[in-house]
Amino acid sequence: MGIEVNGSLMQSYTICERQVWLMAHQIIPDQDHPYIEIGRIIDNTSYDRERKKLNFDNVVIDLVKNDKDNFLIGEVKKSSKAEKSARMQLLFYLYKLKQSGILAKGQLLFPEERKKVNVSLTDDAESEIIKAIDEITNIIHKEKAPVFIKIPYCKNCGYREFCLS
Amino acid sequence: MKKPIYIFSDGELKRKDNTLFFDNEKGRKYIPVENTSEIMLFGEVIINKRFLEFVSHSEIILHFFNHYGYYIGTYYPREHLNSGYMILKQAEYYNDKDKRLYIAKKFIEGAYKNMRHVLKYYQNRGKNLEDIICCIEELGETINSVISINELMAIEGNIRGAYYKAFDKILGNPDFKFGIRSKRPPKNSLNVLISFGNSLMYTLILSEIYKTHLDPRIGYLHSTNFRRFSLNLDVSEIFKPIIIDRVIFSVISKNIIKKDDFDGSAEGLILKEKAKKAFIEEYENKLMTTINHRSIGSNVSYCRLIRLELYKLEKHLMGEQEYTPFVAQW
Ligand code: SF4
Repeated sequence: MGIEVNGSLMQSYTICERQVWLMAHQIIPDQDHPYIEIGRIIDNTSYDRERKKLNFDNVVIDLVKNDKDNFLIGEVKKSSKAEKSARMQLLFYLYKLKQSGILAKGQLLFPEERKKVNVSLTDDAESEIIKAIDEITNIIHKEKAPVFIKIPYCKNCGYREFCLS
Repeated sequence: MKKPIYIFSDGELKRKDNTLFFDNEKGRKYIPVENTSEIMLFGEVIINKRFLEFVSHSEIILHFFNHYGYYIGTYYPREHLNSGYMILKQAEYYNDKDKRLYIAKKFIEGAYKNMRHVLKYYQNRGKNLEDIICCIEELGETINSVISINELMAIEGNIRGAYYKAFDKILGNPDFKFGIRSKRPPKNSLNVLISFGNSLMYTLILSEIYKTHLDPRIGYLHSTNFRRFSLNLDVSEIFKPIIIDRVIFSVISKNIIKKDDFDGSAEGLILKEKAKKAFIEEYENKLMTTINHRSIGSNVSYCRLIRLELYKLEKHLMGEQEYTPFVAQW
């Protein structure tokens, strides 16, 4: 399968391997799901003035702004509960940028909580990302989806009814 | 939850910028785009390409019905959920004779068990249905041993034949005698209600399929020729007895629809608009009724059950979990 790892797969990876596989096979979650709705609305309304989209190597980067001499990329998220997965997604973008020779810093933005978290691509973070990309590629190439194992996240997951039915 | 909109009157559907509305001499009615899943068109309605473009963009499906209330066709906007993987799997299971037969049998098994369930319900309420139930059970037991789709269809036809004989006993209403099953056009009032109800069921399931990754043109029981939708016909077999037939029994026994709700014309019987609305109201209530779903672990509406059924089918095609049809149990 000619699927490239992208930011949303990276984000799913931190949550659930099954989700990675389903998403990579374009089995996208239930669009009526309220959480997806909320995500979309926040995504469409916050930080409007600074907002720019950067289309980059199969990746759409949410927000780019010039902070002194640095490129700064940001990820807007609903709640810091998903901080780990948002962080991985952002690191992934930073890694992709670095590969094309752009050094950047990242920032996670949680508008509802008025919270900002700085993220930078340290050596450790970089090897973490490389390892994750490898593992995601392996998951995607499995012939079948990883079996359903209930985890706490399932409660809020758009695939919930699919997995449980 | 997004909801269907029903349009019975004549008029024009229009788009202005990012809004949709329905115009006629009575005035203008706005259609809430964000909350509309489909539009059911019963009246004479004028539409244009600008309207269709916006409807496609908003992922709203249009279902058309003729003057008699029978389904004509659907405007199915280009699939927004598209999974090449799933379509290939669907085709693979269609092309393989055994795999196809397995799924087709499951649909008929579900239909059979749900028909039996409806009959048992009325038997428990004192209707004399013993013979019919026995006959259906005998036929039902042969489902597993058939080796072709044609044989399966024949059994299904016989089961349905016996099942419809029970309608007269259940209803006991001389104004709604079953006679024989007549479709185009239906010859008597009961057949009109069955056709009308089944049309609603086909379109509802088609709308649900639209929200999954399945291609409605690839069916397993009803053969695929890519020119018409067939998967929705397959899946509706399972749900018709427990949704549509129950609505029919209830509108007749509660006197919500009576003999004079039908108009005769040269070409057949027409259900009057008021009665169509009453039927739909009862039907929508039924769809919103919830049952406790064991594996989901919460209450699930009948409408949602249909979606879950499609998810189960997807998982069967993915080789994850063998498909078993929904069978009513309470
Ligand atoms: S419902 Fe649970 S198992 Fe299924 S994709 Fe979501 S998190 Fe993974």
